Amino acid sequence: MIQIQNLKKSFRTEEVETLALNNVNMKIAEGEFAAIMGPSGCGKSTLLNIIGMLDNPTAGSYKFAGHEVSGLKERQRTSLRKGNLGFVFQSFNLIDELTVFENVELPLIYLKMNKAERREKVTKVLERMKIAHREKHFPHQLSGGQQQRVAIARAVVTHPKLILADEPTGNLDSKNGTEVMNLLTELNQEGTTIVMVTHSDHDSHYAHRVINLFDGQIVTESQNRAMGAMI
Amino acid sequence: MLKNHLKIAWRNLKRRLLFSAVNILGLSIGLSSAFLIYFWVTDEYKVDRFHANGDRLYQIMEKSTENGIVQIHDGTQGPLSDALEKDIPEVENAVTVMDLGKEGMSLTLRNGVNTFKSEGLFAGKAFFETFSFPLLVGRSGEVLLKKESVVISENLAAKLYGSPNKAIGQSIEYEMFGIVQNGLISGIFRNPPGNSTLQFDYVATKQKFVEDIWTNGLIWENTGPQTYVMLKANVDMAAFDRKIEHLIDRYSEYNTFTLFTRKFTDTYLRGNFENGVQTGGRITYIRLMGFIAVLILLIACINFMNLSTARVSRRFKEIGIKKTIGGTKKVLIFQFLSESVLLTYLSLILALVLVIASIPLFNFITGKELGLRFSLGEIAFILVTTLITGLISGSYPAFYLANFSPLAALTGKLHKVGSVINARKGLVVFQFMASLVLIISVLVINEQVRYALNKPVGFERDHVVSFDLEGKAYAEPQVLFDELDKIEGVVGMGAITESIISEEGGSSTYGLEWPGKIEGTEIDFIIRNVDEDLMKTLGIEIAEGQGFNRELGAPETFLILNKEAIKLMGLKDPVGRKVQLWGEEKTILGVMRDFNTASVMQPISPVIFAYSANQMGKAMLKLQTRMEQKALEQIEAAYIRFNPGYQFNFSFLDQTFEKQYLSEKRILSLGRYFAYLAVFISCLGLFGLAAFDTELRNKEISIRKVLGSTSLGIFKLLSTDFIKLVLIAIVIATPIAWYVMQDWLSQFAYHISISWRVFAISGLATILTAIVTISFQVIRAAVANPVKGLRTE
Repeated sequence: MIQIQNLKKSFRTEEVETLALNNVNMKIAEGEFAAIMGPSGCGKSTLLNIIGMLDNPTAGSYKFAGHEVSGLKERQRTSLRKGNLGFVFQSFNLIDELTVFENVELPLIYLKMNKAERREKVTKVLERMKIAHREKHFPHQLSGGQQQRVAIARAVVTHPKLILADEPTGNLDSKNGTEVMNLLTELNQEGTTIVMVTHSDHDSHYAHRVINLFDGQIVTESQNRAMGAMI
Repeated sequence: MLKNHLKIAWRNLKRRLLFSAVNILGLSIGLSSAFLIYFWVTDEYKVDRFHANGDRLYQIMEKSTENGIVQIHDGTQGPLSDALEKDIPEVENAVTVMDLGKEGMSLTLRNGVNTFKSEGLFAGKAFFETFSFPLLVGRSGEVLLKKESVVISENLAAKLYGSPNKAIGQSIEYEMFGIVQNGLISGIFRNPPGNSTLQFDYVATKQKFVEDIWTNGLIWENTGPQTYVMLKANVDMAAFDRKIEHLIDRYSEYNTFTLFTRKFTDTYLRGNFENGVQTGGRITYIRLMGFIAVLILLIACINFMNLSTARVSRRFKEIGIKKTIGGTKKVLIFQFLSESVLLTYLSLILALVLVIASIPLFNFITGKELGLRFSLGEIAFILVTTLITGLISGSYPAFYLANFSPLAALTGKLHKVGSVINARKGLVVFQFMASLVLIISVLVINEQVRYALNKPVGFERDHVVSFDLEGKAYAEPQVLFDELDKIEGVVGMGAITESIISEEGGSSTYGLEWPGKIEGTEIDFIIRNVDEDLMKTLGIEIAEGQGFNRELGAPETFLILNKEAIKLMGLKDPVGRKVQLWGEEKTILGVMRDFNTASVMQPISPVIFAYSANQMGKAMLKLQTRMEQKALEQIEAAYIRFNPGYQFNFSFLDQTFEKQYLSEKRILSLGRYFAYLAVFISCLGLFGLAAFDTELRNKEISIRKVLGSTSLGIFKLLSTDFIKLVLIAIVIATPIAWYVMQDWLSQFAYHISISWRVFAISGLATILTAIVTISFQVIRAAVANPVKGLRTE
């Protein structure tokens, strides 16, 4: 699903140029659950942003489902993201002015789905995430775990091929964190590819493969033998 | 999608109360100002546009060259209308109209029992076919056919006879120049609407006027009444003007006039000519007010732009998420525009309330009867203006916010923030600059009007009362004056044929010949007959020679001219010189110091005073200060006793004089209110910005305080940025306002020179207002507990 070759990303300010990613090569197969790990500032989030088409690489190639996406314009990237990618963030990133239902409904509106279909899909996903009873609540009325479940519901409501999770348990206690990881694992078992950035060794054990980054380069890759053991 | 956008917008509005309140208040004031100005402008545009054949109605104007300057006159020759109908086949109707109101005259009408004084017209037979003044009784082509016919308004019919139907066929008496005329009521017309420049209570026939009252109206060498034509359809006006240009030459060998046409609808709005070229008139004020409306709306729009972009950090997350999950730029632009349009339509509700609340004051200032009538055009204007305002307000924030990359929005690392802060500062500068230009303009107009009202005009206008002389008083004013002389408080009196203020109408002549007159020199002299006391009563000073007095033998053979007349004639040692007035030899008895017969903003006109003791149209009485009321009561009683059956209508000369500045005073009042509003809206925006600025700099303020800064230091730090913007606005506004006002003043012959004090006062006032506006927010931030600020961070 994802093919990355010689990927580079640098940030330039008036005086300094920082190389965030340096010759990254990686492949992620369809249905895989990959975790990207590494110390702060190693380039994890930059890599995830590029995979999520939120950012363009400075050099190198990135193919998503066989299509070259590096160098695409913002408009083209938006249209490719729509329906194909789902995002889960550490800080949940729900829209404060929208209710739980409306937050989850939003990607379907952008896909121009009709109202009845939207209602059906949103209700289904909220029930699955066990948050349907809170559908009329606003984000600030929910606990952190509930907010992250809403964020996951929003990420999966369009049945995306790929879910990108950036420290999904970073703001949660261990009980809620485990719940979130279990949800992601379930989704992966149903066929959704997941790429997750994490600091947590515990969370990384949910992944099939762990990619370790250091100073913008992949330093190690390891398969998780105990895959799913903690579910 | 739209529902979703509106939902977010509505929740945002509720949540950000300060932002919403500042914007709704600013936009509603802006919109209500625009609506009020729109009502006024459309009302002005409607003047004279109700005539069914309006597109074919023209006024014949006359052009002459005096001392190398092309002068335009609307007074025409009595026989002109007949010649036009006879010689020019494109003319369907030509009508002579003698508008007594325009000439400052009103007639006393009598039906045997009731007496009324009112203004009216003498007009040609086709008057009611040419103009659309509907007849309630009578047919338009017939009511003015007979010489004695008089058509009266439904108002006058009700006053004189109780009802229109009872009036038909009744005889009516009216008096002009001391002669009683008899008329027969042949028709009743509906009262002319308020938006007609022709205002009249009766129409008598032109035939009566030129055959029995003003017999000079039969000859080509005199001008006076207006001539209007209704042309046949599809006439080429350039060709028509060429055709009539030298028409008078066919009939008069002494003619100095050429003819041209002016659209009848231009009479009201485009009445000014400069050296023969149409240069506008009231249309200038209409454009000015339109410009002010746009400016105020723009200032309100800028508030929305600035406050929206200032609080952009609060929407980073929303923008980032929406873009991440598939919201395109187009969708986001649409969303932000929906928000601004929703807010503007909410402001519309308050704007309509403000319009309804301020209509009485607005009508009082403009002298109109405007109001929300919810006509189709009005509704369309209100809705479209609101929509456009919403779109303009939202445009900048929409394009700015929607342009962020999703990553930049999510991380809050925006490189464009610096440039938008500069743009925001630029917009604040624009707001204050526009407000300042308005304030400075209002101050300059105020100074000019005050100057005009107080400038010595060359005669006494305070405590001078003027009234018409009719009946016995017209024929023998001196007998009446002997009676009035006995009244305590009357300190002087004189008589004059027509008003001394030329704006009120009156005679002028080209008929003066003098030794050494260069051939082709044409001077239009204002001419009045006066008695021997008029100049003394009005305090008009003699510069050379002497005034009229009782010791003079045959005073009718003398003339007194003003200095301007002598200057234009090029006469040296004028006193004692023989001149010819209308072919009769006269001697120059004296030269008067110049005085203004029109607004002091106009140049001095050449004036001739001839002598007459009887047949005078107006009396002028100088009253003792603080005795006016008592004296007037006695004057009225004496007049009615002397002249039974006539009404006593008086006016004070200073008030008549001030009427000339009515339009300037109205514009001044309107301008003043709108300038205040512009400043208020600008300050609202500044208040909102100060609130956001202090909030954003909360951490900085706290750190500075922890490090030892005083509250005063913080106050200075925060307010300096805003004051700098106002100072820049002052620097830009000053030359613009100076240029605009210098241009406005240059149209007046006498005007003030703009003082630096005007700029200093308005600049200081603006700085003070800005300081007061931001003080609340800035002081709150300056005295806040720094620990709280750091904890929040």
